[in-house]
Amino acid sequence: MEQKYLTRLKISNISKSFPNKEGKRELAVDNISLDVYDGEFLVLLGPGRCGKSVLLNMIAGLMKPDEGKVVLDGEEITKPNPQMGMVFQKTGLLPWLTVMDNITFGPRQRGESKKIYTERAQKYIDMVGLTGFEKSYPYQLSGGMKQRVGIARAYTNEPKILIMDEPFGALDAQTRYSMEQEVQNIVEKDRRTIIFVTNNIEEALMLGDRIILFTNYPARIKKIYDVNISKPRDTMDRTFLMLRKEISENTDLAL
Amino acid sequence: MADKVKIKVDHLTKRFGDLLVLDDISFEVKKGEFICVVGPTGCGKTTFLNLLTRIYQPSSGELYIDEEPADPKKHNISFAFQEPSAMPWLTVEENLEFGLKIKKIPKEERKKRVDRILKLLGMENLRNAYPKQLSVSEEQRVIIGRAFSTYPDLLLMDEPYGQMDIKMRFYLEDEVLKLWKEFGSTVIFITHNIEEAIYLAERVLILSNKPAKIKENLEINLSRPRDVTSEEFIELRKYVTDQIKWW
Amino acid sequence: MRIKKEKISTEYKMKYSIWYHVLPFLSIGLLIAVWYLGSSSNPMIFPTPNTVLRRMIELSQNKLSGYTLIGHMGVSLLRVAVSLGLAIIIGVPLGVLIGWSRGVRATIGAVFECIRPIPMLAWIPLMVMWFGIGEKSKIIMIFMAALMPIVVNSYTGIKMISPLYLDVGKMFNASTEWQLLRSIVLPAALPTIFAGIRNATSMALMVVLAAEMIAARAGLGFLINRGMEVFDVSLVMSGMVAIGVTGALVAVLTNFIERKLCPWNRSI
Repeated sequence: MEQKYLTRLKISNISKSFPNKEGKRELAVDNISLDVYDGEFLVLLGPGRCGKSVLLNMIAGLMKPDEGKVVLDGEEITKPNPQMGMVFQKTGLLPWLTVMDNITFGPRQRGESKKIYTERAQKYIDMVGLTGFEKSYPYQLSGGMKQRVGIARAYTNEPKILIMDEPFGALDAQTRYSMEQEVQNIVEKDRRTIIFVTNNIEEALMLGDRIILFTNYPARIKKIYDVNISKPRDTMDRTFLMLRKEISENTDLAL
Repeated sequence: MADKVKIKVDHLTKRFGDLLVLDDISFEVKKGEFICVVGPTGCGKTTFLNLLTRIYQPSSGELYIDEEPADPKKHNISFAFQEPSAMPWLTVEENLEFGLKIKKIPKEERKKRVDRILKLLGMENLRNAYPKQLSVSEEQRVIIGRAFSTYPDLLLMDEPYGQMDIKMRFYLEDEVLKLWKEFGSTVIFITHNIEEAIYLAERVLILSNKPAKIKENLEINLSRPRDVTSEEFIELRKYVTDQIKWW
Repeated sequence: MRIKKEKISTEYKMKYSIWYHVLPFLSIGLLIAVWYLGSSSNPMIFPTPNTVLRRMIELSQNKLSGYTLIGHMGVSLLRVAVSLGLAIIIGVPLGVLIGWSRGVRATIGAVFECIRPIPMLAWIPLMVMWFGIGEKSKIIMIFMAALMPIVVNSYTGIKMISPLYLDVGKMFNASTEWQLLRSIVLPAALPTIFAGIRNATSMALMVVLAAEMIAARAGLGFLINRGMEVFDVSLVMSGMVAIGVTGALVAVLTNFIERKLCPWNRSI
């Protein structure tokens, strides 16, 4: 357990604002500080468009904070960092590449040897259950399968921290449920530090070791929950339901 | 009047070629009743729905409304599906009025009903907004309001809240219950979400795997508002889940 | 009453699909029938399909102005191919550069916006005055016509790339501009660039005819023009049919190349 409390990523006092329609600056992320521990499954939970994606982009180095900083293993993040993996909400698969080429995109850009990265890619392709689809193009896959490719691609790049940005938001409820099971299986086999963003309370409770609840726009930390329910979790378990109710009552409704 | 049979589904069977999809389904819905239909994935819920909407003709059996064979020209069947379907070129108000215009309801009555719905939904300030300016949930609420405002003989809903998070879902479920009570509509609500079914329904119809039969007809005698964390509620949920076992 | 569209359309399609295969043939048959009916009155002004077909066969066997019909087709196609090739080699990099670099866009982009609204055919007199009526002037004219859509589409293709793809590239180690350009931007823009090449091809076909009709000793435009000079209607119509066939062949070829180059783009 002590290993859990080794801080991997330190987010200190970051804020970000954007000009609104009237040209005034409006806060999207308001002074957030957060430690991400090694090996934990951290869920960032917030209603609708609460500024979570902005926070995420800053963590990933795709966006610069106005104030504060993000530090990974003692090193400040100022640009996209290959130590961070990303599973995008809209999958972001490159339509001109096959499943295999999408998954090996990262290692190829880095100039790794083909033999090594193909082997690794195959391992993750098998793990997410896409064996036999290596040569398919994204348009030939269903929504759930596309996101499996997205997950395999992120893992194959061997990140220290894996960011998943509402990865199942576009899927129907049943596919979503099975993808959540899938992620749990993968996490069990290949433990990494994961930052998972969602607006779905049930999903947060299914997966998270720790849940950070955000306010509606701008994003501030409202409450932090440690979820001490053993996995895999039963959605009809009373403790689960009570905690779900508590979080639900604490969440801002974004109609 | 409360016990009057409004809808009668009588030995409804549907085959596609040799494939039997719906097998001899019979049930009755009383006027003003709220029924939820649940069943395993791919059990033929959609076919069932399409038979009720008269998109498909049944292979045998019939659907009766007020003891007459259902006829879209005569009976008023309303829908709300998962994908919001407001007309993008009409404002919220005009969208609400649209269904009423088709039913040739006089202008004064139309205005009265639209105002009533807008008030119930608490969306008076969005009266002149276009669907594009609404959030997905707002648009869905307009559609559901539209469905109720025609005073349908039968209101069919197919997973209207399938994509929503529970916070939103509970809010919208409470809203739909409010509309249902207010309008006294007869509702058949199809969902894969058992918790939702038990939260909403007076009666839950459980369909079996394909070919779909009615496996069970379960009265839900929980007082409202229902507490989803209560023992009885969880018991019912577990029971229905066992009946379906779709995962 | 709202209904689920796809359900209806599958049942509908199954019932009527055979018609969709028969109808095109029927309408083409009708066109030929109308041609027959219209033409029978005066063969000198409006020859029958038979006459035109016989004329085309005859033209394929005997040379006119040094070339058979196929030869004239070849001459026109060669002009198109050379000019189009040049336009691609110069236009694609230019468009990509305008799209990718703000500096280039600020300087060259504006010039293009100024020239773009002038229709290609309006350039022809100027080209003739400057470059004469030889092969060089024809190539330049066709090149100019083909260049515009290629540059514009390449530029648009680059501008329209979803920022998401750029983020994907950056998160997955494409750290230099060149890496991003080569592995994200170019492939993402390729379908749009190719649509530009397709437009350019039809522009080139149009301009090659115009150029050949002004002054040429070979090519399909020359054939039509010669027919007009000696009031040989069946020669004019033979040329027209040959152009139609050429256009269709080129379209098939571009589609084939596009499918090979962009196998992921299923809209083709």
